[in-house]
This record gives sequence, C-alpha cells and structure tokens, in this order.
Amino acid sequence: MKSSAQTIRTSKVRKFIYSNNTVGHVFAAPFIFGFICFSLIPILTSFYYAFTDYSLGSKTSEIVGGRNFAMLLTDDIFLQSLGITLKYVFISVPLKLAFALFVAFLLTRKSRLVTLYRSLYYVPSLVGGSVAVALVWKQLFARKGLFNSVLSDAGFSTINWFGDTKLALWPLILMSVWQFGSSMIIFAAGLKEIPTSYYEAAEIDGANGFQKFFRITLPCLSPIVLYNLVMQTISAFMAFTQAFIITQGGPNNSTMMYSLYVYNQAFKYNNMGYACAMSWFMLVVMSAITLIIFKTSKMWVFSEAGE
Amino acid sequence: MKKKLISIFLAAGMVLSLAACGNETGGQESSAGSDTGSTQESSAGSEESSAQESSAAPEADGEPVTLRMAWWGSQTRHDITVEVIEMYEKEHPNVKIEYEFFSFDDYFNKLKTLQASDQVWDIFQLGGNFPMYMDKICFMDEFIDSGIVDVSDIPEAYLQITQDIEGNQIGLSNGLNTYGIAYDVDMFNEAEVPLPTENWTWDDYADAAMKIMEKTGHYGSSGLSSSEFIAGCSTYIGQQGKVGEYGFFNLDLTGMGFEDPSMLEGYIQMRADLIKAGASPDAGAEMEITNIENDFLVTGEAGMTWVAVNQFPTIYDICKAEGRTLALAPLPRVTSDGPSGAVIQSSQMLCVSQDSEHKEEAAAFISWFQNSVECNQVLQGERGIPVNNTVRDSLKANLTEGQQIMYDFVDLIGTFEVPEKVNVLSPDGQDQVVDKYRNYIQDVVAGNMTAAEAAQKTYDDAAAIFN
Amino acid sequence: MSAKHKIQKVLYHLFVIIFGIIMIYPVFWMISGSFKDNAEILRGTLSLVPENLKISNYSTGWKGFAGITFATFFKNSFLITTVATLGTVISSSLVAYALSRVRFRGRKLWFTCMLATMMLPGQVIMIPSFLIWYNLGLSSTYVPLILPYFCGQAFFIYQMMQFMAGIPRELDEAATIDGCSKYSIYSHIILPLLKPSIVTTIIIQFYWKWDDYMGPLLYLSKPQSYTASLAIKLFADSASTTDYGAMFAMSTLSLIPVFLIFLFFNRYLVEGIGTSGLKG
Repeated sequence: MKSSAQTIRTSKVRKFIYSNNTVGHVFAAPFIFGFICFSLIPILTSFYYAFTDYSLGSKTSEIVGGRNFAMLLTDDIFLQSLGITLKYVFISVPLKLAFALFVAFLLTRKSRLVTLYRSLYYVPSLVGGSVAVALVWKQLFARKGLFNSVLSDAGFSTINWFGDTKLALWPLILMSVWQFGSSMIIFAAGLKEIPTSYYEAAEIDGANGFQKFFRITLPCLSPIVLYNLVMQTISAFMAFTQAFIITQGGPNNSTMMYSLYVYNQAFKYNNMGYACAMSWFMLVVMSAITLIIFKTSKMWVFSEAGE
Repeated sequence: MKKKLISIFLAAGMVLSLAACGNETGGQESSAGSDTGSTQESSAGSEESSAQESSAAPEADGEPVTLRMAWWGSQTRHDITVEVIEMYEKEHPNVKIEYEFFSFDDYFNKLKTLQASDQVWDIFQLGGNFPMYMDKICFMDEFIDSGIVDVSDIPEAYLQITQDIEGNQIGLSNGLNTYGIAYDVDMFNEAEVPLPTENWTWDDYADAAMKIMEKTGHYGSSGLSSSEFIAGCSTYIGQQGKVGEYGFFNLDLTGMGFEDPSMLEGYIQMRADLIKAGASPDAGAEMEITNIENDFLVTGEAGMTWVAVNQFPTIYDICKAEGRTLALAPLPRVTSDGPSGAVIQSSQMLCVSQDSEHKEEAAAFISWFQNSVECNQVLQGERGIPVNNTVRDSLKANLTEGQQIMYDFVDLIGTFEVPEKVNVLSPDGQDQVVDKYRNYIQDVVAGNMTAAEAAQKTYDDAAAIFN
Repeated sequence: MSAKHKIQKVLYHLFVIIFGIIMIYPVFWMISGSFKDNAEILRGTLSLVPENLKISNYSTGWKGFAGITFATFFKNSFLITTVATLGTVISSSLVAYALSRVRFRGRKLWFTCMLATMMLPGQVIMIPSFLIWYNLGLSSTYVPLILPYFCGQAFFIYQMMQFMAGIPRELDEAATIDGCSKYSIYSHIILPLLKPSIVTTIIIQFYWKWDDYMGPLLYLSKPQSYTASLAIKLFADSASTTDYGAMFAMSTLSLIPVFLIFLFFNRYLVEGIGTSGLKG
C-alpha cells in the first residue's frame, strides 16, 4: 500500500501529464518551437520593414510611418494587380477544385487500371513550374501554337493570347487548373475514408448515382473540400510561378499578379519596404477571405468530431 | 488496474518518445551539420569562412588562404572557369579557391542575400547594372598602385569602362561589349533594301523594317524591348546635339541628362508605328522570345534584331548551320553626320568584395585572370573580347567567323568619336522605368496614349528616381 | 443490362484515357524534347517525334558542371527530400492531433499562426530567415533545408486536422473509457486511421521538396552540395546560352523519383474504397 501523500503526489503529476493543456502543448511543441524560432522573427521583421524605406543592399533604413501603405492606394499597378489576383483566385480555385474532385471521383472505381489512370492525371503536377513547362505552355498558346492551329483548322480566326490584355490571364488560369494533382490526391484519400457501408445502405434504399454523390460523398467529404478550398485559395493568392515563368506580368501588366509585383518591388526595383507593406496589406485581405470561408463553412461542413 | 498501468506506461513511452523526438531533431541538426562536414570536408571550414576566417586562418603567416568566388553563366563557362581556377591553385599552392556558380537570375538572388549578411564572395562577377552593390565593391586602385594588379597591358580606354565617374577602378572587365543591329543579309536583298552602313539613320532603319515586312511577310525588326531601352531609347538621346552634349541620365547620376522630353518622342513614335504596322513583334509575339537563341531573327522570321555583340557569334553559328548569313551593323543614328551614341562597354567584370578578408589575394587572382595568356587560352574569350592587348592578340589567331565579325565590329566602334566622359553605371531604379516605358509603348500602339504623352511619362518616371 | 454495362465501361475507359492523354501531352513534349536538339526545341514544333534523335542530351546533361555529375546532385536531393518528408509526416501529425483533438489553452492562437505562416510571400521573409540561419552559423549547411520540416508544415498539419475531423469522436471516448490516455489515443487510434492522409502527405511533400530550388539556392554554397532542382536551373542562363536539350533530359530524369514515390504510395489510395476505412 502506498502512502496517501505519495498517492496524492503521483496523482497530481498524473493529472498534470494528462491535462489537456499539457497534452496539447506537448503535441504542438514542434510547431510552437519552429514558429517562434524560424517564423516569428521573419514575420515581425517584414512587419517592421513595411514602415521603413528599407531596400536590399542599403545598410540604413528610415522609418517612414504609413507612407508605404498610403502609396499602395495610389499605385495603379498595385490596384491593377489586386484586381487580377482576385480574378485569378475566383476563377482558378473553383475550376481546379471541381476538376480535381471530378477526376478523383472518376478514379475511385475498383479497377486495376485506376492506378495507371491516376498517375496519368497526376504527372502534370510533377513538372511544376519548370522551364520546360513554361516553354511548352508558351508554345501551346503561341501565334502558331496548338490552340491557334486547331482554331484556324476549324475555320475560326486565331487568337493572340499573350498579346491581348483581356486574354493573357487565361493561359495562366488553365495552367493552374491543369496542375490539380495535389488536390486530387487529397480528395482521393478522403474518398477512400468514406465507409462502403454507407453506399451499401443507400443502394438498398434505391439511391441512384447522383443521389449517392450528393447525399453521401459530398457531405462525408466536406471537411476535405473545406481544406482544399482554404489551401487552394491561399496558394492561388500567392501564385507566382506561372506569371513569372510565362508572361513576366505582361502584356501591359495584365498578368501582373500580386506576388509577382511583390517580387519585382523587392528584388528588381529594390523597394523591400514597399514590398513588405504590400504583403501585409494582402495578408489582411487573405485573412478576411479565409475567415469568410470558415464562417460560411459552418453551414456546409459536416464534422464527425463535432465542434 | 492493469489497463491503467499499461496506459501509464504508454503515456510515459509517448512522452519519452516525444522527448526523444525532440532530441532527434536536435541530433539531426548536429549530425546533418557534421554530415555536410564529413562528406565535403573541404567545405567544412568554408562554411563559416567569411565570418571567422581571420581568426581561424592567421594571415600573419601569409600561408593558406581560401578565397570564395562566384559567377553566372552556361555549362561551358562553368567548366572552363573551374579549369583555370585549378590552374591557379596549382601555381599558388597556398591559395584555395572555393567557387559557386549559378544562372543569371539566381546569381543575383543569392548575391542580394549575401549582401544582407555581409558575406559577399571575395571575388564576384558583376554586369552593368550594379549601383546597389556599390557598397560591397572594394576599388582596385590601391592594388594597382601597389603592383598587385597589373594593368600595364590594358589600354586606358578599356580600364575606363569599369571606372565610376570619379575614376575609381570598380573592377577589371572580363570582356568588351557594345550594342549593334544583327541582320539577315539575304532578307535585305530579297526586300531590295540597301544594306546598313556605318552611319545609317533611324529613318533608314524604319524604312528597311517596313520594306522587309511588305516584301517578305516577316518582321522587319525583332528583339526584346528590355534591351531595346538601353540600346535604342537611351542611345537616341545621346545621338542628339553635339557629341557628349546629352545623355539619358547625367554623368554623376544625380538627375536627367536632357531637359526636353520631346527628344524621346520621335523614337517612341517610330517604335509604335513599326509594331502597329506589324513590322515589329507586338507584346504577344515578343513573349515568345525567351532569349537570343530563339529571337525571330534566328528563327528566320525577322530581318533584324538588337544584340549585345557578345551574343553575335552564337546566333551567327546557328544561322550559318541553316545556310543563312548574318551581319552586324552599328546602331542607327538620328542624323547620319551626328554622334553615333555608341560606346564600348564592359560585358561583365570581376570585383573584389569589401567583405573579403583577403582582398589582396583576390585582386591578385583577378589580375592573373585578365592578364595571363595561358589562362585565357582556356577561357577563349567566352565572356567577351579580353581587354589585355597581348591576350587579345593571342586569341585573334584562331577565331571563328562569327567571332571575327564581332572583333572587327568592336574595332570599328572604337574608331567612332566618343564623349570625353561616359557613364558606365545606370541608376538604381532604372528597371522600373524600363518596365513602365515598355508598357507606354504598348499604350501608344493601342492608341490609348500619344507618343508625346509616352515621352513625357517616361521622362517623369526617370526623373522621379532622383527625388 | 450487361451489354449496357459493358458499353458504359468502355466509354468510361475511353474517356479517361483520351482525356488523360490530353492532360499529359505537355509532359510528353518535354520528354520528347530531351531527344531533340536545341534548334528544334526553340522552333517550337508541337510534334512529339524528334526530327533526329539526339540521345547525347542525356550524356551532356549528366556530365553536369565542372566535373560534378548529376549523380551527386540527385544524391543530395534524395537525402534532403527523404529526411524532410519524414520530418513533415512525424511533426505534422503530432501538431495536427493537438490542434484538432486536444482542447488546450492557445489552440486557436496557434491555429491562426499556422495559417498566417502561409499568407506572407516567401520573397519578403526570405532575407530575414536567411539572417537567422546565418547568425546561428548554419547557413550553407543542410540544416535550414531540413530542420524546419521537423516543426510541422502548415499545409499538412491542416490537412491532417481535416482528416481527423472525419474520425468519429466516439472512438476517442470509447478509448478513454477503456483507460487510454490522450497520448495513446494518438498512437493507437488516430495514427492508424490517418494512413490515407499520411500517404498523401508523403506524395505531395516529397515532390514539393524535390522541386524546391529557392531553399537550396539560398542555403547551399558548394556546387558539390547542390540539389538536382538547382542544378537543372544551371542549364538555363538568360544572359548567355541555354542548353535546352540537356535541361529537358535532366528534367525528365528528375521526374522519375517523384513518379516512383507516387506509384509506390498511390497503391494505398486505391486498394478498394472503404475496405480499410472505419470499422466503427
């Protein structure tokens, strides 16, 4: 028999070890450590720079207060890039997700060929933003490229994709949609988690394919849909590679996405302070949009875990 | 009870494994660190070299010195540069050179990071647009005075191309360069246009471009407008008035070098007219040009293009293989008896870094790199026409056709009357002016803007750099 | 019925294949480009068959730079990528468990921080990050390329959280009644059920890390330690010449490891829907 003091002590220790606070912090420790050591300082630094005229290469920078932020509102190119980025996000994200979900769903059949098919659809995402892809994408939409040859063969007039300020964003959007692989894989993993018993039960009830998709698949998948929606929205806001390797923002800034403009200001035009201000402004915009997604998600996401 | 025990045990295990996990990351850190150290022992010392070299390797002994060097370029350049570095190390057993190489854009991304942390390579390569790295450059004058750097065989004119306006020697040039117009001889003949002369004018140029377009259906003149700004727009200013009267920027880079924005108008109007007429690629077509090797001139879809002449041998060879002949003409002038506006520039140079702990050794290497015939027999003028007379002569013996044209062309430009003082620097902020200028041209083409307005805006943008 | 079923099946496969080929065409173009010479690539023909087969692209490419072959670059890539991916899986699942299953003080705060880390463009935090590693004396080692991956990656933490949201809480409750602690719930219940999510993490993270060249560019300073992604960029020098053939050849080779990883782990995502799903 243990002494009662000991029991109390062990139970105190136990209580401490098993308390939610301890458990949470223990498990979250890697992130907390990493965040404080490697993320916090750069984030705060960039926040500080946003209020200075810091440029790479200069050892001194002066605090200029809100000047950078005031400049944003009168910078035509920034305002234009804001519009372009929003257009890009609102078109490419839904398209990409719908496409990824469609293909993932298409490839859930029990067939040995499915592995092969899925590889077929995933490979485009493996070439990423390489120079090779930039070249082929340019060629596809070039004046004498594949799209235009198809158009002219069909008797239509050809389109100057990269020369028209109204059209130039579309090849970039298409490229983003084309690289839907990671969303597809995540959807596929989510689909796999849906118990077959649900479908069996539905079949007994006489549900057809559509009903099964909308009544079972979609609700069960909704946390994953939310996840992909949030992540793809954020990454679409940050989209840089497509514009950087293909159009460099042209023609006439019609594909000047926000992150490309940040890059130009920071590294090409050497206004790091201004680039930081721009980043923080967009961080607020992105947070707002993410928050809206989260708030509305309460209405359509079904969580087994409950809130 | 048993279950509880198990769960305690499990929990303890979890905590332990988590702790171990933490350790593991810590361990990983050190082991990864030592891994790099052991697999590349040569690099182990260098990792902190720039910061701690002085304490680690006492310079007093005059003994082992490790220099860090970096450049950008192609596969060929990397191979031959490493070859000469090894040559140098053999000759100077106490010197070890650790090299890094990148592609052009990556080089500057890396350089900016190193600049921020005060550890720029001892020896580094710079092009023409370097004001932002000025703080990191150690002028070479003291090394020239003390005899570490030998410039006895380099003509004064070629030293000047890498001097700032006060005459400080920023670096030693790796090669001479200048702008020109490369053209397809057959296409000119086909269009029955007279071939460019030494002092042809912009009117001749525009006329040729239009005729080529009409007769052959190809672009008269192609080219990336990013290089066109300096080669065309900025040169256009220098060609007006007397030699050296105007420049786009003033000599000490504190303001504009001309006062009347309408001096730009004629040029902008001509550019826009050519694009509008289809004699020059529009924005969409221009985007298909990724670099000089698939310029429309090279693909046979244009009669002329802008080149920095060190690019000429490459495209000459490509076209020759396809049975076409390219030639090189000076930039057109505003009036045929006016200033040429052309200047011999440095394609790139090697500089000594302010962060270096071994500036003298770095300077000694650069001196060898530019002056040694043996070294340049390996380098083969790949970075441009060497500045050292003996070296240049030694290479002239076995030039390819394209290189011969380039050498002759640079000699020709050397005979043109040049201003007493030339500015080799471009001001910080020029890139943004260029980008905006390119958009104004498109606006003029689209009819959203007149050439006069575009000229005014370009002028205002450029002037705003100095506010 | 069975005939109709067959037609449906044929149509399905036909559709998936044709559509897939369209999707993959640009990749084939790149692969065929690795057998073309520079001039043909630059002419921009859309044909997949090289005019004259140029296998030497592979040997010139593999030769690498200054005596360092692609064997070294691939080895470096493999080392960094494998360790970083391992780190991501371990750390992200731990953090995801804390944020999704444990109600502790600061949970919301850390979740917000996690999302925020994704919202600032790399360009503006690149230099400050570099300075930290430099001051720690760890720049130009592999540590900055690996250690952060042991601290969880937001993209995957959140992904795992969403998958955990699909695991019924009743399982936790049942386990708690059985005397399981929060610690053992993680290892005994959550982790095994998280398999699909872990597999996707491996596939995606492996590729991302493999493809990343900005990190290697900033933190590696010896050509001997370059990764394949960085080395491939060396073929393309906008200021001089670009050897497209060799670049395409090495890009093609670089696809193989990521593709193999995908093939290997993809099995776990297709072996029949729900067969290994929840048995609750």
